[in-house]
Amino acid sequence: MRWCFLLAIVGSCAGALLAQTAPVQVKNAKRDAGGVPAPTAELERGRTVYVLSSCHFCHGIDLTGAAMGAADLMHLPLVGRDEGGNLIGPIVRKGLPNLQTAMPQYSDYTDQQISDVAAYIHYLRQQGRYRELIAAGDGGAGDAAAGREYFNGAAKCGGCHSVDSDLKRIGTKYDDARLRARLLRPGPDNVVAGNGADAGRVAHLKLLERYSDADVRNLLAFLKSPAR
Amino acid sequence: MVLRFVARDRDRATQDRHPMYSRRQLGKLAFAALPVARVFGQATFRPTAIAGIPFGVETFSYHDLPSAGDARLIPTLIEDMKASGIAECEIMSGHVEPMGSYATGWWVATRRAPGYAKMRDEARRWRLAVPLDYYRAVRKQFDNAGLRMHLYNVNFNETFTDEERDRTFEAAKVLGVEGFSSSTVLSEAKRLVPFVKRHKMYVAMHNHNNLADPDQFATPASFEAALAMSEYLKATLDIGHYVAGNNDPVAFIEKHHGRIVNIHIRDRKRNNGRNMPFGQGDTPIKDVLRLIRDQRYPIRCYIEYEYGSFRSSTEEVKRCVDYCREALA
Repeated sequence: MRWCFLLAIVGSCAGALLAQTAPVQVKNAKRDAGGVPAPTAELERGRTVYVLSSCHFCHGIDLTGAAMGAADLMHLPLVGRDEGGNLIGPIVRKGLPNLQTAMPQYSDYTDQQISDVAAYIHYLRQQGRYRELIAAGDGGAGDAAAGREYFNGAAKCGGCHSVDSDLKRIGTKYDDARLRARLLRPGPDNVVAGNGADAGRVAHLKLLERYSDADVRNLLAFLKSPAR
Repeated sequence: MVLRFVARDRDRATQDRHPMYSRRQLGKLAFAALPVARVFGQATFRPTAIAGIPFGVETFSYHDLPSAGDARLIPTLIEDMKASGIAECEIMSGHVEPMGSYATGWWVATRRAPGYAKMRDEARRWRLAVPLDYYRAVRKQFDNAGLRMHLYNVNFNETFTDEERDRTFEAAKVLGVEGFSSSTVLSEAKRLVPFVKRHKMYVAMHNHNNLADPDQFATPASFEAALAMSEYLKATLDIGHYVAGNNDPVAFIEKHHGRIVNIHIRDRKRNNGRNMPFGQGDTPIKDVLRLIRDQRYPIRCYIEYEYGSFRSSTEEVKRCVDYCREALA
């Protein structure tokens, strides 16, 4: 009986440890010339397309530092509007031959390859924009009225949330930094599409790719506003 | 021990690093050369030749170097060249200067970026102010390792002032290179004519495959227009880009072999196709190499690794060299 109890304790400790280390696995995964292995099989397929097509040489391993005149995929509005490769795919397939340093065409890519590489680009963008928007935290006060308009308008937050019910006390529940982090990416740190993200979190990840710095400041001002 | 950085971005460094070099930074650069000198002494340069053809590498091939301006960049590059078994290179200005080529105006799209004008101005002021000893210290590191910079890759463009063009030629002389390779345009080639004549130093035009802009080097006609301007204007024929523009590199080499300084070897597919591992694209690498060997054309062959891989750049450059060696066996 005592052994069972001990095993249970060891088991629960190991479980807790595994649960804690799960998000870290990505960070500690062995790095190669194409960056860090992705957290899901689908995203790893996308990384394979991205790296073996040498996208990373111009657009950056993590979408930062676009070189040779290539588009900055971290901030390009087209990427934010893309749904499953519907906008990225045609460009990848046709290439951009008239650029100063042409982007090659990948006309033989299957729908699956396009979908995979688009998913990976979105994943990189979500990771990168989260870091950028967290770092922009001391960027000054926002405009609560503009935040209200964005909440009810372009961001469509009102489809799932209400400041009169689930978000009623959100402005006092968290400090500024935590509220910003919760707004940008609710849920566990390692949540990605296809890996524990429900429809609501997927919607937040999509927004994460579209927010401007001002959008986030304004939303935060609105959520913290006593007169909302 | 030379530290390796996976982030390859040569250009990003310019956005948050002031490009001016202080005496302390120059000292650091010289200090970074010490381990190489201590371990290898004044090593003798032994050219890498396959079947009598001098082989080298375009330093763009090393995608995992420290950022521009990092004093560890040149020692790392030297280690990479040694590991690849290649003794000479065409070195990019972004690997020599602290600001990266992003800041020096070649990519027209980047000229529109916020803050670009200030960055470009700082890069120009750095070039005009830096002591030539800065370049001497770079050369010394290569000399100590028994390696050679044969060409300086500078992308001359309309944002250069005449004073800056002159200074860049002076820098090249101190680096000890024979001439320049340049991704440039016909209109800039015309501006360079008095400079190449005055400095008696060639600029070899490097092509891409933009067929829509007649100012770009991408076709036989664009090369021929520049070659006609001066005997000091020559060609760096990128055979992969040339094929991606649906041109025939064998025919070009047969016709212009006396004016081609070096070729960049990469394997792309036709019709603006992608970069492929050597032997898998449409570029007739074997035919080109055998032509140069059999005709004894005085053309240097430089690897330019740009296809995708999960392996390190050094490993891939070695594979590229092995492919060429096999082709010439």
